[in-house]
Amino acid sequence: MSLKLDYVLRETASNFRRNITLTLATVITVTISLTLLGAALLFGDAVDNATSRWKDGVEFIVFMDPEISPELEADIRRQLVDSPEVSGFSYVDKDEAYAEVQDLLGDSPELVEVITPQRLPASFRVKPSDTLPERVDELAEAFRSQPGVARVVTASETIRAIEDLSSGLRQRVIIVAIILLVAAAVLILNTIRMALFSRRRDIEVMKLVGATNWFIRVPFMFEGLVQGLIGGVISIPLIWLTNNFFSVINDDVSLELLRGFTVDPSRVWALGFQMVGLGAIVGTVGSGVAVTRFLDT
Amino acid sequence: MIRMENVTKVYKGEVLALQNASCEVQRGEFVFLVGPSGSGKSTFMRLLNKEEKPDRGRVFVAGRDIGSLPSWKVPFLRRNIGCVFQDFKLLPNKTVVQNVAFALEVIGRPRSVIKTKVPAILELVGLSKKMHNFPDELSGGEQQRVSIARAFVNRPLILLADEPTGNLDPNTSLGIMTLLDRINRTGTTVVMATHDRSIVDKMRRRVVELDRGQIVRDQSRGVYE
Repeated sequence: MSLKLDYVLRETASNFRRNITLTLATVITVTISLTLLGAALLFGDAVDNATSRWKDGVEFIVFMDPEISPELEADIRRQLVDSPEVSGFSYVDKDEAYAEVQDLLGDSPELVEVITPQRLPASFRVKPSDTLPERVDELAEAFRSQPGVARVVTASETIRAIEDLSSGLRQRVIIVAIILLVAAAVLILNTIRMALFSRRRDIEVMKLVGATNWFIRVPFMFEGLVQGLIGGVISIPLIWLTNNFFSVINDDVSLELLRGFTVDPSRVWALGFQMVGLGAIVGTVGSGVAVTRFLDT
Repeated sequence: MIRMENVTKVYKGEVLALQNASCEVQRGEFVFLVGPSGSGKSTFMRLLNKEEKPDRGRVFVAGRDIGSLPSWKVPFLRRNIGCVFQDFKLLPNKTVVQNVAFALEVIGRPRSVIKTKVPAILELVGLSKKMHNFPDELSGGEQQRVSIARAFVNRPLILLADEPTGNLDPNTSLGIMTLLDRINRTGTTVVMATHDRSIVDKMRRRVVELDRGQIVRDQSRGVYE
């Protein structure tokens, strides 16, 4: 009797240990992959936000006096249209400017509150035909002295560098994200396959007595689903940690250039939930595919 | 119940396991498959529950050409075919009763059915007293009885036994044969591959002899050789 109890405890303990390490391995794999992927996507968003004003070759911005008369504004517009050195420009009115501010300062509503569309300047975002810095500065200088113009801001060398970077960066982030996702799927597949290997005897017997493939598959897929969900949920706080790191960059005054290098909290949450969903899908599909290997009839 | 028509099976394109074999087994028959190792006995059995597919020829089970059976229906074919092996294939982390119940659980039988069927079949094989033991606490003969109980609990039409006495001493083997004989008398067709000369000679049932993949003898009430 004592031998039996001893045997049962030993068997149960070893079984549990065997499964817990593999479960742990799967969950950790999912967590790390999803966190990296989430952080990469978040970084892409932050870069986008930080450089949104300088997209599509905009080299300088002519901010108008908020109180400018329509005639003066039309005058400036005409100059932009006529100038051979301007290849294109876009007009951002007060409301659009306000929407942009809301986007950028979404996580500090107290700041948004004190700003009204009336207090924001309308602006022209100008794309010069010649992007040589000296030529751009000359062109910008010409508008600076215009009546009705409050301020002209040129893209500094650093902004230009970031802007060049960001278009490439976005692509690279997506490539990295895809690689990570594939790596995660392969790792999960492998981990689940290891777990299944320890239970191949069970599967063999199930096949022998006529269990349908789905009957065999579903419990394993459910296990994968739970592992994927756990991994995804753990990745949420880790993704938040990444976002907090962005805030640190943002709050550093010496890095004023990167102002706007932030992501809206709702976006971070959405990304977190997307990662949980992705974890669930990868876990479930991974298990399903892994178990299919043992079902080749 | 079982019919093979000119079946040829070649493994990996070179190992000839069965060559143009034809054979018919009626419902309720007891058939010994004999022959040296590698003569194709196991392949014969594996073709019947579609673990293998023939390269040529056709296999019929219960009047159906199983070659035309879609793969999703194969589990339902297997529910009609019980399997017993030399190495028992019991799950070591489950008790006797759990091992047998497992076979019913995974084909979705309701709990109430399992509760009545499992003790009844364990009674039949004479293991009621060891229901809650684990396989490695049983003797070889007892383990084989559990495996037979598992194969028969679902009342299959056919029972395939691949060297069921291969690991057992002569006395224990006899007990297993008595059990298989009883199962056969319930109307279940039994096909048993064996090397055990004394058992074949004692039982005097139909003997199909294979040699290098060919059926060289088919004799009713036959002996080993």
